[in-house]
Amino acid sequence: MLLLHELSPMHWALAGLAIAAITLVLQYVANRGLGLSSGLEDICSLASNAPYFRRPELQDRWRFPFLFGLFIGGAVSAASAGHGWQVIWSAGMLDDAFHFSRPAKLAWFFAGGICIGFGTRMAGGCTSGHGIYGMARLQPSSIKATLSFMAVGTVMSNMIYRVLCA
Amino acid sequence: MSSLLFSLGVAFGLVLSRSGATDYDYIQKMFLFTDLQLYGIIGVAVAVAAPGLWLLQKRGTTLHGDAIKLTAKPSHRGNIFGGALFGVGWAMTGMCPGPLFVTLGEGKVYAIAALLGALLGTWLFGLVYDRLRGPLRLPTISVGPGAG
Repeated sequence: MLLLHELSPMHWALAGLAIAAITLVLQYVANRGLGLSSGLEDICSLASNAPYFRRPELQDRWRFPFLFGLFIGGAVSAASAGHGWQVIWSAGMLDDAFHFSRPAKLAWFFAGGICIGFGTRMAGGCTSGHGIYGMARLQPSSIKATLSFMAVGTVMSNMIYRVLCA
Repeated sequence: MSSLLFSLGVAFGLVLSRSGATDYDYIQKMFLFTDLQLYGIIGVAVAVAAPGLWLLQKRGTTLHGDAIKLTAKPSHRGNIFGGALFGVGWAMTGMCPGPLFVTLGEGKVYAIAALLGALLGTWLFGLVYDRLRGPLRLPTISVGPGAG
């Protein structure tokens, strides 16, 4: 069951097909490769004049409507089920393991977020860009990055839930 | 084009939200191998997108008749080291970059902290890019580490 209204998740094969369809329409109609971590750079490029954020590829910011769509998709998903849209503090297993206060929980997610931002940009992509789009094209860089984040994520979660909080 | 991109974003957000990809517990169960839901999703997505992208490349043109541009993904040491750091962040938060935005829409308060952290991490990486270029064998700054 999902944390969101304790819904049953949709079937994995249907979700996979939908993600593949979105990837293909994005390429066939908009001529863009699926990949979302660069969206973080698009946002930084609004506020930073560092040479890194002035790169030519960041100039057209095509990801902004896509990112805004993601946000709206999440809001519609929450609003259209159960008790409607509401503020959610629950993080399931994390709550059971650590009993964080709210400020401590925010600090935990902030620290994890720094790793997501620094790491995905250093890797040149994330789950969508490397894990799906790059893996579907058997790009060597994507195979390396995907194996790396899946392996380290596995070690990290097992450290937390099978060693630290066993 | 913006409305198409927005619509694809909404669809992607709905699927991620309702499939478990934005759910802290489902991400942990993936890494703990106690529920294979997300492996099934990623597996089907890759298995269907692969022949689809191959066919598009073979066809050579988009719907509007432009040449298909498949984004190049440069290979460098950052793929592994950055991937590893991202693995730590993904396991800590249960979020990857797409779900950062979806969970915010869902009303998960801690998504604000994760997104602000991710923006700070991205900004810091941009500041130290030149210093990391040598050791990580990254492309020149005008090329960047790869779009994705």
